Amino acid sequence: MFERTPGVGRAADRLQRPLIHWLHRGLGLSPAHVTWIAFGVSLAAAVVLAVGPLVSGLVVMAVAQILDGLDGGIARGFGLASEAGRRLDDRLDRASEVAIFLAFAYSGRVSVGLVVLALVAIALLTTVAARSKVDPGVKRFALYFGLWFPYSLIFTIIFLVNLAGYVVGMLVIDCRFQRVMDQLGGDLDTVASRAAALEPDAG
Amino acid sequence: MTIVTHFLATTLGVQALGLEGQDKVLAYAFGMGVDIDHAVKAPFYLKAVGLRDKRGYYWRSSLQEPVALLWIIPLSFFFRSFVPVLFFLIHVAMDYSVRFEKMPFYPYSSFVTRGWLISIPDRVKEGVLFVVLLGLNAALYLNWLHV
Repeated sequence: MFERTPGVGRAADRLQRPLIHWLHRGLGLSPAHVTWIAFGVSLAAAVVLAVGPLVSGLVVMAVAQILDGLDGGIARGFGLASEAGRRLDDRLDRASEVAIFLAFAYSGRVSVGLVVLALVAIALLTTVAARSKVDPGVKRFALYFGLWFPYSLIFTIIFLVNLAGYVVGMLVIDCRFQRVMDQLGGDLDTVASRAAALEPDAG
Repeated sequence: MTIVTHFLATTLGVQALGLEGQDKVLAYAFGMGVDIDHAVKAPFYLKAVGLRDKRGYYWRSSLQEPVALLWIIPLSFFFRSFVPVLFFLIHVAMDYSVRFEKMPFYPYSSFVTRGWLISIPDRVKEGVLFVVLLGLNAALYLNWLHV
């Protein structure tokens, strides 16, 4: 959860240390177990948000998000961090967002179209976030503001912020590639193809 | 293509479709505004080349490549308007008729292409297009004045 803000991650770990110890040492749970439990609670939050009162749904969603933060804490605290764990966390985070966002559409608080647009923007951002390190972090967290603002506005913000994050992320990656081309130098007419040949997917 | 040619093509489209208000703004944003990535690349040019005029420097970014449709199509749905996609495609089609290297799907693929009509010299293509676009713009404007 905090892989792109390690300082915040360490501070959160200190606050959560007793709980992290209890989950791992006391109950014997691995980071992956906690990730799956957080996903299960997210699905429960989606059901409550779809058919129940808003506040109850947001409370269950908050529990899921706290659990989602604990998996990383266990991984860091006990030296269990892995690329596979990070991937699982990312995938289940996106799946949780799909379930919870669709629940908002099902409940009629926001249109299906706007929910789909917000999910598309988050999916696009996810495809480049690891390379660009640009992620505004405006996803499920923004939904709590629905206690004060209309959900059509909140989903519009989620869509526009994540889409803008995607465009900025693409430009960040482009600028990095430009540096490679500038370092290569030589014939400007072929510099892009020569730099492209150095890219990991160039085969 | 130069910004002047993009301006003429966008203005022709705006006149021909009778666009006003939000659609007119979107047309210029996606027909011309995507060239703003040249400003993003300007510091790199200054560092690599300096203040000299050096033709052929790689000014492009994913902002004006076909890969940008990934975000322009959802944005078009959001605005409930076909204008961003249409004017962006016109911009891309014009750029792809100039023979410099382009990376249409970067960062998802490092495929490089030079586009189409590469056997015709760039100056000829740009010149012909400039004259045609200028003539059509003038014709549409004069027609509008007489209606």
